[in-house]
Amino acid sequence: MTAPPAPPLQRLLDAYDRLLRRSLTVLMGLMIVPIGMQILSRYFRFIPRYIWTEEIARFCFVWIIMIGSMIAVRDRTHFDVDLLPAPKTARGRGLAGLIVHGAMAILGLVFVWSGCEFAASGARQTSEMSGLNLLTIYVAFPVAGLTWLAFLLEKLAADARLFASKEPEPTA
Amino acid sequence: MSPGLVALLMFGTLIALIVLRVPVSFALGLACLPVLLVDGRLTPFLMLHAMFKSYNSFILLAVPFFVLAANLMNSAGITERLIALARSAVGHLPGGLAHVNVVVSMLFAGISGSSTAEAAGIGSLMIPAMKKQGYDASFSVALTACASVLGVIIPPSILMIVWGGLMSVSIGGLFLAGVVPGVAIGLVLMGTVHVFAKRRGYPVYVRSTGAEFWRALRRALLALITPVIIVGGIVGGWFTPTEASVVAVVYAAFLGVFVYRTIKPHGVSEVLYDSARLASISLFCIGTAAAFGWLLAYYRVPQAVVGAMTGLSTGVISTGFLVAGAFLFVGCFIDAIPAIMIVGTMLMPLAKNAGMHPIHFAIIGVISLAFGLVTPPYGLCLMIASTIGQIKLVQALRDVGFILIPMLLLLTLVILFPEIVLWLPRLIAPKFL
Repeated sequence: MTAPPAPPLQRLLDAYDRLLRRSLTVLMGLMIVPIGMQILSRYFRFIPRYIWTEEIARFCFVWIIMIGSMIAVRDRTHFDVDLLPAPKTARGRGLAGLIVHGAMAILGLVFVWSGCEFAASGARQTSEMSGLNLLTIYVAFPVAGLTWLAFLLEKLAADARLFASKEPEPTA
Repeated sequence: MSPGLVALLMFGTLIALIVLRVPVSFALGLACLPVLLVDGRLTPFLMLHAMFKSYNSFILLAVPFFVLAANLMNSAGITERLIALARSAVGHLPGGLAHVNVVVSMLFAGISGSSTAEAAGIGSLMIPAMKKQGYDASFSVALTACASVLGVIIPPSILMIVWGGLMSVSIGGLFLAGVVPGVAIGLVLMGTVHVFAKRRGYPVYVRSTGAEFWRALRRALLALITPVIIVGGIVGGWFTPTEASVVAVVYAAFLGVFVYRTIKPHGVSEVLYDSARLASISLFCIGTAAAFGWLLAYYRVPQAVVGAMTGLSTGVISTGFLVAGAFLFVGCFIDAIPAIMIVGTMLMPLAKNAGMHPIHFAIIGVISLAFGLVTPPYGLCLMIASTIGQIKLVQALRDVGFILIPMLLLLTLVILFPEIVLWLPRLIAPKFL
């Protein structure tokens, strides 16, 4: 059986998800370059010694973490602990999902709200070594918050449908 | 607010959220909110600031790189070469393949600094092979998971890098200190395998000839010198731990792409993505853990804990057991790195008061947290291994228990005799002590 065509909103989120995945791959590869240069420049004269190598690597790193956190919200791979038994009914699973995703969305809201303030404080500063405006890094926080919220709303909608469903659970 | 009230509010919220199955990383952040909102002097802005400060660290950069190096080694087929070598060395012992599993974990641990990468890499090859030879699935899963904890005990080790960076302990010293306990745990595991194999009648391989052993050794030699490059480079002052992780990546990529020619260019991007993904999930949790730890420190909770406990433990040994107990307990519920950030920094003054050597304290912590990787409900390595073995985590628990008992006895020895830990660094690099 083939899946029905995805609604436009989901297609949009899928495309955004792909973009995030690609950015993560590229950033991870990029991060090797400045540190490699840093080591080599110590032992080979012809490689210039820049003081910004370490800083650029750290900034890539912050973005990698935040983008990774966004992707993991979509595919539910943030680690959780299963102490409680898994709910047996569809309604139960819907309710459990609403609680978990709702709680995560609260943190998302905080990240957007305080993140904007945080990004604004970054816009007033430049980095010590590379002279980069810190907005470029700090903005990762509100972006993460917004992205989580987008992905979480998708999940909350699915949870709500599950919670409202009346048909008996098919046996697995 | 008093330290006690703050601790109650924060840990209470945290535990409630974790029980409700909110991801640990999000639960840590959410648990900060009540206090941040109640106290008029604080805002959530400070939480983001604490998170950013923890990410903006050159030391932590080593985490994704060591995961990447391990994944490159796996996709370059280096793990297979190590398995062939281990098989020719110990395959003829009773329970041959299980011994191979332990020895490979020790060799791989010398290359990789991450136990999860080790459980995934070795597990995907060894668990199906063991099941095919008639080993119980539960034993194959339990052994793979327990052996993979060596990844963070035998250097290089992500946990030691984080510990050293956070508490200003020499990382080179920690790496050297991990060698003896790591190898000892490996030997203890082999002893356990022997008992299991005799009782359950597990199969053996025909003994390899000397020529076969040499051939396997030659095939694995280039991979085997990785730990020498990494640990030697750090101890010799050639590069910092973070730089060493990049050296490990470049070396693994060089072996895979040019020497063994087993990694194709499009495979590289997949490995880059997988590594960044795996690393960033645990790193994100480090950020919220840092915020949580910062807030506890702001209300002087660690000092209160130390004050309450100084009466309890005064000697090195009793403090050692207290440290091990705390980390073993916390390690059941949260990941090792956040545990270091929250509990490690809390216990540090206690260990200092008791006159414990910082390296001894660190190794007890790292070993206890490594064991936490196989203890439920939050045992990452056990989760990974049981997924590969296609059994429920619970089914492997009995065997995990049996395998863990001798390992815990060894931890006891490490607590009782600090020299097990301190001997090698003292011999090779006394400047680190």
